[in-house]
Amino acid sequence: MLLKTKVTLFAVGWLVLISAAHAYLNVNWAAVLNDYQPVEKRKITVAYLPVTCQLTCPVTDYISKYSTSGEEFMPRMFQGFPEMKEALISNRVQAAFIVAPMALALKAQGVPIKVVYLGHRYGSSVVVQKNGPIKTFADMRGKTVAIPSRFSDERLLLFRAMKVWGIKPGEIKMVEMAPPDVSGALAAHAIDGFAMGEPFPSQAEIGGFGRVLFQAREYWPDYMSCILVVRQDLIDKRPDVVQVLVDGIARSGLWLDTSKPHREDAADFVGRFYYNQKPGLLRWALTKPLDRVTYSPLAPRKADFDMVRDLMIETGVLNKKLEFSEYTDTRFSDNAGTQTSWRYEPGIATAK
Amino acid sequence: MSSMIKPRTWERFFWPLIAAALLLALWHYSVVWTATKVFPSPMSVEKGIVELFHKHVLWADIEDSLRRVAIGFGLAVVIGVPLGLSLGWYPSANQVVNPVIQIVRPISPIAWIPVAIIFFGVGDRAAIFLVFLGSFFPILVACVSGVSSVPPIFRSAGRNFGLSTPQLLARVVFPAALPQILIGARLALGIAWLVVVAGEMIAVDSGLGYLVIDSRNSGKRYDLVVAAMLMIGVIGLTLDFCFRRLEKIKSVRWGFRDAS
Repeated sequence: MLLKTKVTLFAVGWLVLISAAHAYLNVNWAAVLNDYQPVEKRKITVAYLPVTCQLTCPVTDYISKYSTSGEEFMPRMFQGFPEMKEALISNRVQAAFIVAPMALALKAQGVPIKVVYLGHRYGSSVVVQKNGPIKTFADMRGKTVAIPSRFSDERLLLFRAMKVWGIKPGEIKMVEMAPPDVSGALAAHAIDGFAMGEPFPSQAEIGGFGRVLFQAREYWPDYMSCILVVRQDLIDKRPDVVQVLVDGIARSGLWLDTSKPHREDAADFVGRFYYNQKPGLLRWALTKPLDRVTYSPLAPRKADFDMVRDLMIETGVLNKKLEFSEYTDTRFSDNAGTQTSWRYEPGIATAK
Repeated sequence: MSSMIKPRTWERFFWPLIAAALLLALWHYSVVWTATKVFPSPMSVEKGIVELFHKHVLWADIEDSLRRVAIGFGLAVVIGVPLGLSLGWYPSANQVVNPVIQIVRPISPIAWIPVAIIFFGVGDRAAIFLVFLGSFFPILVACVSGVSSVPPIFRSAGRNFGLSTPQLLARVVFPAALPQILIGARLALGIAWLVVVAGEMIAVDSGLGYLVIDSRNSGKRYDLVVAAMLMIGVIGLTLDFCFRRLEKIKSVRWGFRDAS
C-alpha cells in the first residue's frame, strides 16, 4: 500500500471514529431534531440554574412527560446568570428563569423580554462561617459576601438588611460568584459569607461549615428572586406556547406545595435527573422547614416589582424608572389562575 | 512584496495601517449588514473605551495587571535562569528532574486556578503564582537547551583562562546562551500576559481580565467587553515591542542571524 493511501485511510478512519463517538456521546438528538421541526411545532428552550428558586422548571418537565400533553419544552441547565443572559439575548433560549433585577436591567438596556411569572417565593438566605466572627448582621461591616449577580434580589436583600442595621453602602464588600461555587468558597474561607438561593445555604449547613444568619423573609416579606422571562417575539407569535409553559409552572408550584412527600419526590428526581445534586441535599432545602421556599402563589405583583425597581435605582444598578406594564405581561398568569395541581402522585414513577 | 526587498520607512507604517483600517471597515459593515443589536460596532467600542477612562477604572486595572505580570515574570526569570543554567551544566541532574518537568510543563496554568486559590486565597498572590507558573517553564527549558548548545570550545577556552565553574557559568556560558534564553523569555512574557488575563477572571477583583468579566456581568454591555479586549491586545503588543527593543541591545545582539 502506498503511503498516501495509508494516510488517507487513517484520516478517514479517524474522522469516522470521532464522528460516531461524538454522535453517540455528545449530541442531544432531541434538540437537533427539534431544530428541524416547522416553527409552529418547534419546542421552546427554557434556561434554568440548579437552584430551588427554579425548581418548578425541571418539575414541570419531568411530570409533563408522564402527562397526556407530553413533554412541553426543552429545559437546558446553565451554571451562572451571565451565560444564561447571553443565551437569552442571542435567542438561543426563548425563555429563562433569571433574577428579577436582571430582567429589569436587560429590559432597560433594550432586550426584548417580558416577565410572565414568578419562579418561587422565599428560599434565599445569608450564610456565614459557622463558628466565625459574624454573630449578628452588624458584624458584617468590612466583610466580603458573595452574591449571584449585581442584578440579584440577594444583593437588594443585603441592602435592605444594611438599612435596618445602619450599615452604609460600601461597608460590605460584595463579590459576584456563580451559585454552585459559593459553598466551596465559604469552606475555603475565601469569603466571609454569601447571600444565595437554596440549596447552597443547605449545602453549607450540611457540610458543617456554614450557619444561616437570616432567611430572606426576615428582612423582605413576600421575598421573590427568580422569575420567568420570555422573549417578546415568542409572546407575539406563539402566545399559546407561553400559556402552556406558564400553566405548567403554576401546576408544578401547586403540586410542590401539596405535601411533604411531594417535596421529597421532587428532591429525588430533580437531584438525580436534572441538577446532578444529592437528593438528600435538596430534601433538606425543601423540607427543613417546608416553608423555607414556597411555590404558590406565583402571579407577578406590581408592588413587589416596584419595590425591586426603586431599590435598584437607589443602589445604582438601574437608571430608568420602568413601569410595571412595560416589562410584564400578566395575561398568562391571569389565565393560569384557574390551574390546579398536577394529578401525579409522588413515588409512582420508579426512577430508572 | 518579497521578503528579500527591504520595505521603505513609510511602507512599514502605511500597509499595516491600511490592513487595520480594512479590518475595522469589515467589522463596521458586518455589524450594519447583519443589523445585530448585540454585538457592538467599532464606534460604540470607542465610546466604551472613553467611558472606561472616565470611570477611572482603566488605569487602575492596567496597573494591576502589569504589576502582576512584572512580579510573576520577574520571579520566573530570577528562579528559572539560574536553575536552567545549572541543569544545562549538569546533564545528569537534568536527566533526573527532566521527566517531572516535562509532566508539569504541559499543565495549563488555568488548570492550576483551583489549587492556586486554596494555596493563596482570592487575591493578588494567586494571580501572581499563575503568571509565575506560566512563564517559568519556557524560561527554564530555553536555558537548559541554550546551555547544552554552547560549543564545547568556549568552555575549554574558559577553563584554560583559569575560570572556576560559577565564573565560567556567569561569564562564558550565560552570555553564549543568552540569545536562546531571550527567545524563551519573550515567549514566556507572551504567555504571562495570556495567563494574567485568564487568572484575573476568577481569582481577583481587579485587572483587565476582571474588567472583561465585570463588563460581561453588567447586562448587555458588550461594547465594554470588546473595549477591554482591545486594551488587552494593545498592551500585549506594547509589551512585546518593548521586549524586542531589549533584544536590540548590542551585547546580546551577536547571537542573532541578521546581526549587523
